[in-house]
Amino acid sequence: MADLDLATTWFLAARAMACGGEPLSMSEEAAAGLFARAILGLDEEVCIAAKDASHMTAHTLVDCMSMASHLPRGTADQVMTGVMMVAYAAASMQPLQVRWASMLASAMEMDEDRFQRCCVNARVVASMLPAGEEAVGD
Amino acid sequence: MTDSSGNFDFLEKYDSRVAHLARQAESYVYSDPDSSLFKLRLMVETMARTLVELEQPQLVDTDLSVMLRSLQRSGLLDRRQAEHMHAIRRDGNAAVHGRDSTTPTALRRLRDGWRLSRWYARMVRRGAKVDQADFKPPVPPRTDSKSAALHAQAEALEEAAERRRHRMREALLLFGEKDDADAMRWRLRGELRALEDIAIVAGEPVVDADFVALVMAMDLEQILEHPSWGHSSSEAKASVETQFTAFKHAHAEAEEAYLRDRAALARAHRPS
Repeated sequence: MADLDLATTWFLAARAMACGGEPLSMSEEAAAGLFARAILGLDEEVCIAAKDASHMTAHTLVDCMSMASHLPRGTADQVMTGVMMVAYAAASMQPLQVRWASMLASAMEMDEDRFQRCCVNARVVASMLPAGEEAVGD
Repeated sequence: MTDSSGNFDFLEKYDSRVAHLARQAESYVYSDPDSSLFKLRLMVETMARTLVELEQPQLVDTDLSVMLRSLQRSGLLDRRQAEHMHAIRRDGNAAVHGRDSTTPTALRRLRDGWRLSRWYARMVRRGAKVDQADFKPPVPPRTDSKSAALHAQAEALEEAAERRRHRMREALLLFGEKDDADAMRWRLRGELRALEDIAIVAGEPVVDADFVALVMAMDLEQILEHPSWGHSSSEAKASVETQFTAFKHAHAEAEEAYLRDRAALARAHRPS
């Protein structure tokens, strides 16, 4: 999968999780973004291109699930972990967030064990972030 | 010490302590940028403390970054103001910890402080019509050509660092500076609700919502008990139970709505 598609999948999936709950602080957003960039190996250019407004509005969550279903297993696990981190960074589990995690995991053809492993990883990383994490660019 | 340009005089009637700190920061901006940044940081901390006291008094004694995050989450502090506050906190901390600061940095943060002042005045006195004139950069002292060249060099460095930070933010954050985050939130929540309807009508997917909610509840309880969140076991349990109950309630309501619709449809198509 091209980097732009991966970045598009990531930003749509992470935004959906963020929008399903209470508004995130910038540091929480940045923590998830940093994780994704480091783990998914996305460079700045690709992230900025994926977040371009016209590019984003051309894609729906159904597109996101479709792209997620084509991710290699390891990459899909990383995306799922990052998405769960978005919820965990804000210690939030609103109904729409629960629904999104369920739909995305299923689109990735995960079973319950695999999903739970991603959640454990997300929890560990989220716990390592101080609650008052520095702002972006510090 | 440079004379005050009157940029913060309007603040006096809203919060004299904050106004005093801002004027001090302004007066030190050329002669002692470290002190200027320190005063600005104190000003932001005072602002945050006052606002947190109104909204979440239990967080008053916590770290500045925790208070800022809480203000942002409560909706009092939007992204732009949060960026100004974090920038002042960051550069103020650097000055406090002995990292040399420059006048261009202090001037930028002073302008950030001025932008925040108007918002702050409105926050402490809701509905107040804040009369704030345009920002007037404090008058620089006379300098020789060597100092002017050094100043220009520092300004160029500061500009490059700001550009770098901006680009990093654009790449990292889920929403860009120019994005209409509210519109995006509205759209995505609509799509999520549609997915919820599909799941109820078509049947739960393999990893069903009940299972996800259970896993998330267990994880969140552990996260909230972690020292970085600092909740007691009972607080963490109560918080997670509230969220879990809200999920169960919303889930049951959505299923009930579907059954109602289906019954209505069946009635409409029943042969008379």
